Amino acid sequence: MATPLVESTPTQARPSRTWVGVLISAGLVVLMVTSLFIGVSDVTPASLLSADDGGRAGFLLVVSRIPRTVAVVLVGASLGIAGLIMQMMVRNRFVEPSTTGVTEFATLGMLGTIILTPGMPVMGKAAVAAAFGLFGTWLFLQVVKAIPVRQLVLVPLVGIMLGGVVGAITSFIAYRLDLLQSLGQWSQGSFASIMAERYEYLWLAAVMVVIAWVAADRFSVIGMGEDFATNLGLNYRRVMAIGMIVIAVITACVLVTAGIVPFLGLVVPNVVSLIIGDNVRRAIPWVAGLGAVFIVACDILARVLRFPYEIPLSVIVGVIGAAVFLWLLLRRRSRAH
Amino acid sequence: MSLKRPLATIAFVAASSMALAACGGSGDAAEPDADASTETVSFTWDRNIAGEDEEPEYESTTAEVPVNPETVVTFDMASLDTVGALGGEVAGAPLESVPEYLAGYLSEDAFNAGTLFEADLVEIEAQQPDLILISGRSSALWEDLNEIAPTVDLSPAGTYLETLERNTDFIGEVFDAEEEASAAVDDLLAQIEEVRTETAELGTGLGVMVSGGSLSALAASGGTEGGFTYRSGIMYDVFGVQPVIEDIQGATHGEPVSFEFVLEQNPDHLFVIDRDQAIGTEDAEAAAAVLDNDIIDATTAASNDQIHYLNPVAWYIVYGGLDTTQVMIDDVRAAVA
Repeated sequence: MATPLVESTPTQARPSRTWVGVLISAGLVVLMVTSLFIGVSDVTPASLLSADDGGRAGFLLVVSRIPRTVAVVLVGASLGIAGLIMQMMVRNRFVEPSTTGVTEFATLGMLGTIILTPGMPVMGKAAVAAAFGLFGTWLFLQVVKAIPVRQLVLVPLVGIMLGGVVGAITSFIAYRLDLLQSLGQWSQGSFASIMAERYEYLWLAAVMVVIAWVAADRFSVIGMGEDFATNLGLNYRRVMAIGMIVIAVITACVLVTAGIVPFLGLVVPNVVSLIIGDNVRRAIPWVAGLGAVFIVACDILARVLRFPYEIPLSVIVGVIGAAVFLWLLLRRRSRAH
Repeated sequence: MSLKRPLATIAFVAASSMALAACGGSGDAAEPDADASTETVSFTWDRNIAGEDEEPEYESTTAEVPVNPETVVTFDMASLDTVGALGGEVAGAPLESVPEYLAGYLSEDAFNAGTLFEADLVEIEAQQPDLILISGRSSALWEDLNEIAPTVDLSPAGTYLETLERNTDFIGEVFDAEEEASAAVDDLLAQIEEVRTETAELGTGLGVMVSGGSLSALAASGGTEGGFTYRSGIMYDVFGVQPVIEDIQGATHGEPVSFEFVLEQNPDHLFVIDRDQAIGTEDAEAAAAVLDNDIIDATTAASNDQIHYLNPVAWYIVYGGLDTTQVMIDDVRAAVA
């Protein structure tokens, strides 16, 4: 029995955490199975077993449903991780690629490839987008370093402003070249045209998740500040560089396959942090899992709400994500002040 | 007027008198032009006076335009088409949006008047046009342009054919080519009648637009509260193709769908507008590449080799105008052949 003087939350909360972990895993499995059987065509477990439709259900499952479900899971998991790593690197809970200008830079890079080398294969476009995203991450870190007072809300505000400036440049170029509608079309997050051979770049994002996992402890230490990390014998710059690459590659891969998915990288790590705290190694599977649950649920909604048409996923993620973000901000405020 | 702020008062008075002087000046300048023909044609249409994003509100507007105008500026590609086909010439237009097959209808030293959505007012003012034609995308420019020269909005009113007939008649009157105008329209109507007998036997069809690698199903019909959806409705309303699904909404750009949607609806014919090609980006993933996949391959349209790529500029940008309607007729002929 803990004495009243000791902080007793960890021991008390542990059973409930396991419980939540089981819940998330179970939720993910249920949602993924649901996702496999939701779509315009009739694909049901029964139709898979019967041979009446000439194997059409099985064909659709392999070519359309499984790729889409896998793509959605990969996007959710990797965006969550990108947000988590970014939050550790900046030591601020309210940043993620789409609130720090990284996504905007990647979009600018992508627009550049569409204008200058329209025939470039998607892999090349992703590489250019990643290079721009990398620069965006670096620039944001430099700007944050230059801010004298690192207030909690000031850092994401600076990021949003930075993203606004880059986004404005992108819009201006697109406007001058009559590409605004095209820009809207491919940057709008949606999985409607995902099928086999159209999502495989996302495995690269999965590789980044693995790298993040391997380097997880280092990111935890990074989260304690440069001096502390250096004192512990950590190569601060190298870990920061790895983090930047992880963020940029994930952002670019998601951008070229699905488009911009806002808020996810912000909301998911924050919710996880509420449940288990700030240990990156422990948080990574949680963030990946919860990110996947969140986005698979949103994608199911996107397909169901206006059946047989689709609502862009980014709209649904945006609405739900913004609500959770607000709740996090307000909740935090009431505690902190 | 308060006398507590004498400076402001003086400034106000000065400004007012300058404004009055300016009005008087422009009145003096408006002397009758000796060269201009005194004959005019009047054109009346319902002008939307509500702002962007507001419920439309219409006001009947009449413009008096000179017969045989010397300098004509058009923001409406269909008007460029019809003016040219009836023997006129256009001095200014959004040059970057002029399709190749209409380039010959521009005068040799044609100037760039802006984009399909925006006007270069300074340049237009400098060219002192006698008549400005706008429609749809440029409708909002009416007030600004009408200050420079009589401006007519030839936006669709009624069905596609009603609009074609009305606009051709009007342009025929303006360019003193009334007989040519009605002969041209009659010829097109006769051809369409002919094509319709063939499309009646065609089976079902679905119009899709491909943009930025994703797919939209185009609205089947018009005449509802939103007005006619020409772009896509033309296929069904004018050319008599039987829509495979009736209740598509999504206004002018269709409704986002997955490949599975196409497979499930399974039209006998697929009519494709490649939006990227229409606006000239010729994206790496051309429509044919986007549709070249296992799911589309499983449709009746694909297996019977009945995927038809329409002239994207004619169907997406211009739609309307004499030559363009001919292009569309030829497209449908090629499809039913």
